[in-house]
Amino acid sequence: MPTIAKVWIEEDCITCDACQDILPEVFTVTDDTSFIAAAVREDGNFDQNTGRSAIKKEFRAEYSDIIEEAADACPVEIIKFEYESAEAGDEPAEAEAPVEAAPVAAAVTPSADDGVLAGVLAGDRALTILFGSQTGNATGLAEKTAKLSAAYGLEASVVDMDEFDLANLPSLKRLLIITSTWGEGEMPDNAEALWQATCGAKPALGGVHLSVCAIGDSSYDEYCKAGIDWNDKLSALGATIVQEIQLCDVDFDEPWAQWVAQALPRIACVDDSGTFQEDMVEAMIAYGSGDDDDGGVEGDFTPASISMPEISLTLKVFRYDPDRGETGHDTIACALPGHATIQDALSAVQNEVDGSLSFRSSSHAGGNPLTGVMANGRVVLADTVRICDLIDDGDLLSVEPLPGHEVLKDLIVANDSWENERSSSKPWMEADPRQGERLASGAPIGVMASSEATKLHQMGDVSSFPLLNAMSDTYGIDGAYSGPAVALQRWIRAQDSRSGTAQTNQIYALLQGNGGVWSEADIGAISRHGANGEKVANELYAARARLLSEFKFSGKSGRMVKWYARSVKLSGNVNETTLYRQVLGPLGLGSNIMNGVSLRMMLGFTRNGGPMMRGFQGMLMPPAGIGKIPDMFNSKVHNHHEVVAMFNELDRRF
Amino acid sequence: MNWTGDSEVFAMVKYSYYPGNVARQASQEVEDTIQPLCKSLGIDLIEMVGYNSDGGDVIRQGNPELQLALNARNFALAQNNGHDIITACASSQGVMHDALSTFKNDPIALASANRVLEKITGMSLDASEVQTHHLLHVLVDEIGLDKVEAAVVNPLDLDIACYYGPSMQKEGACGGDDVWNPTYMEQLITALGGRPVEFSSKTRSVGNPSLLTLGDSVMKMTAKVLSDAKGAGANVIVSACTLSHSNLDSYQGKAGRVANKDTAIPVVNLTEIIAFAFGHYTDRFAQLRTRALVIGS
Repeated sequence: MPTIAKVWIEEDCITCDACQDILPEVFTVTDDTSFIAAAVREDGNFDQNTGRSAIKKEFRAEYSDIIEEAADACPVEIIKFEYESAEAGDEPAEAEAPVEAAPVAAAVTPSADDGVLAGVLAGDRALTILFGSQTGNATGLAEKTAKLSAAYGLEASVVDMDEFDLANLPSLKRLLIITSTWGEGEMPDNAEALWQATCGAKPALGGVHLSVCAIGDSSYDEYCKAGIDWNDKLSALGATIVQEIQLCDVDFDEPWAQWVAQALPRIACVDDSGTFQEDMVEAMIAYGSGDDDDGGVEGDFTPASISMPEISLTLKVFRYDPDRGETGHDTIACALPGHATIQDALSAVQNEVDGSLSFRSSSHAGGNPLTGVMANGRVVLADTVRICDLIDDGDLLSVEPLPGHEVLKDLIVANDSWENERSSSKPWMEADPRQGERLASGAPIGVMASSEATKLHQMGDVSSFPLLNAMSDTYGIDGAYSGPAVALQRWIRAQDSRSGTAQTNQIYALLQGNGGVWSEADIGAISRHGANGEKVANELYAARARLLSEFKFSGKSGRMVKWYARSVKLSGNVNETTLYRQVLGPLGLGSNIMNGVSLRMMLGFTRNGGPMMRGFQGMLMPPAGIGKIPDMFNSKVHNHHEVVAMFNELDRRF
Repeated sequence: MNWTGDSEVFAMVKYSYYPGNVARQASQEVEDTIQPLCKSLGIDLIEMVGYNSDGGDVIRQGNPELQLALNARNFALAQNNGHDIITACASSQGVMHDALSTFKNDPIALASANRVLEKITGMSLDASEVQTHHLLHVLVDEIGLDKVEAAVVNPLDLDIACYYGPSMQKEGACGGDDVWNPTYMEQLITALGGRPVEFSSKTRSVGNPSLLTLGDSVMKMTAKVLSDAKGAGANVIVSACTLSHSNLDSYQGKAGRVANKDTAIPVVNLTEIIAFAFGHYTDRFAQLRTRALVIGS
């Protein structure tokens, strides 16, 4: 029997993990696709192997059968392989046409070839998979179950128990429940409301066919209690159990796989009329595995998605016509599935209302960092964020272009300014020459520990750099400011131990200079933008702390930090007069007098109705203490020595 | 029992009061007004004797550990008082919320701050024992707008733009209000007999942390908020942030000239407008109404 010489992965992998579960030595499922392991490949690369590198000879005999098995199990048939050529001995036959894996039944539309199963596969094939999940494990299993269900001609909907309407329960023909148990036998948070409602309403479930997969921890007394409760309750209400409940311990993958292999073909034998055709189960198992005599049916694979109830909304979209120089908003009343993304909503408008609407899009969630928009005041990626995460039923969804950017048309903004800034900041590494660390060309290279590489990677691991810039309320106001995205990239490069001293010094000068990190007027405003914003804000604060040390508190910003801290140390509270005097200096104070700021402060009492002078300092040391100009000196707080001691303990620079 | 505004017939709600960095300096009007308004609503402000500056996210730039330790001392004072902290400054609420979140989520940071705190003050912070609140969220979430409305003596009868600023508009820091499209202040203004005016810049930063260090950009940020509010039809701006009030009020003229925008509009602190509606400082309220008529929209 010939052995397999080459194996590769084609497009449209659904990352169901089936191949990895069967042969992890060869297949590694990533976020997007499946890779062929480097250890078994002649070229040692780790990718889909679209270049069709050969499998190392020592592995071929051992893995050939299992690769075939994995290809058979692949629901979307994208595992391809090639046998060794008999004439070429051990060498693979390059000219030989690829042998495709045996097709797997994956259709949702039955045909006349379905033979004995034709009756079962006809009509309504809806399957509802309810999940109760506290940590996401049950959610993941529900999604996997939905993907596998297509092999049995089922059309699955994965539904969060929190989002399920109890009124629909009696009308379901096919129902699978996958739920974890929380704490001491309690329902997960998202299942509690439905559970209570079910117990209260006691709906008649005579037409429902059910199987339950319960996840738990056998070290607890109430092992898998939530799943058992659902099984018993729905059974008592009249539901037909087509497959006994499966209890899964903390290592749930294997028992879940056993359950799903039984439960899916059995529930697939519930026909359009709602009758469980038990005598068809064996044929259905064969059909689902692709071994049936009926032969497979061609068709599209239906990927699983978590369905959310439909939301009625008013969509308000910014429009800009550059040819006419006109701006405005389109307002459209519509209803969309809650799980639809902003991009889905915009696409619907483009397809059904106005084909001229322009926006950036991508083929899959998170696929394009340039799809940023501002939705209800929040900067988000349109291809990622779901409508149900932004609004409730009946709400307004306002979609505007990313703030701080030049608008080219409708929701499309220019990114060239930030790209130019990034390019001019020379973010690439410039290492110092080091002995023994050079490329063959003679160019110097640096090295770093993997822990440092990980840390640097994490610092820059943000979903979208244009989105970062839009988080800043300063970006776009100050034309000289390079923005938080470039500042972050410069800061990361400066922390890279491979960077040479000259480059590090140059980066610090850029960060310290005009348009650098001190040009951000309010880092706190960035930090409120979720995990990405908080991460960047922390890095910008860290960059400033480093620059204060490097440049010894020079410049207005340095003096601001130094004297703020010193005035707090001196009295326990900040003294604004000290800050004005030390940061602005005589010229700055003079400028404030000339441009009316000081006058407005002195006349503050005329605007807020307070007394002209609030204490003796106003008389002894004017203008301090007059109007809204603060006192020259603060009185010390109670136990002021404690504040001084804290400064002395933690930072004697102040 | 009907709410009459007479605090003596109700159990007092107690909070440890943190005035922030400027309420007892340049913004004395906040201190003037928060005390009587809280008394009207039965909120007992307990002094945190010996409180220090929260660092204003300025000290953090030089030494994050130091700013955390300063906040830990304030939190420990409130913990000893036995009450959560209340402040009328959005910036202070933002700074304190961040520090407290750090302590709750990072046991190493908490242990480090407690090491210093115990050594110097003898106090120790239990981060689960104290919370921080802005006055706005206490009024809406805790006291209730119905009680606020019942305490109104002089309905505002003004078109008011509500400025929140960005500092406290983050998850967990703004009570039950919406982070991105807050409405609590508008609800409060309605309860006080005013007419809230919606405007797009209500959570935008005016760049107060860089007021003294950056020039034109901070003025342009300030001018945008002022002109947006005025353009939306407001004749008064109410600020929930005492620090931002400096930009919006004292720097109003300069901001308008730098940005070449119409920025002339009265700006008052949240505590002032509530106290006015409750009948405190009627002379100041009359003065505000006159200014709104003369220079408002």
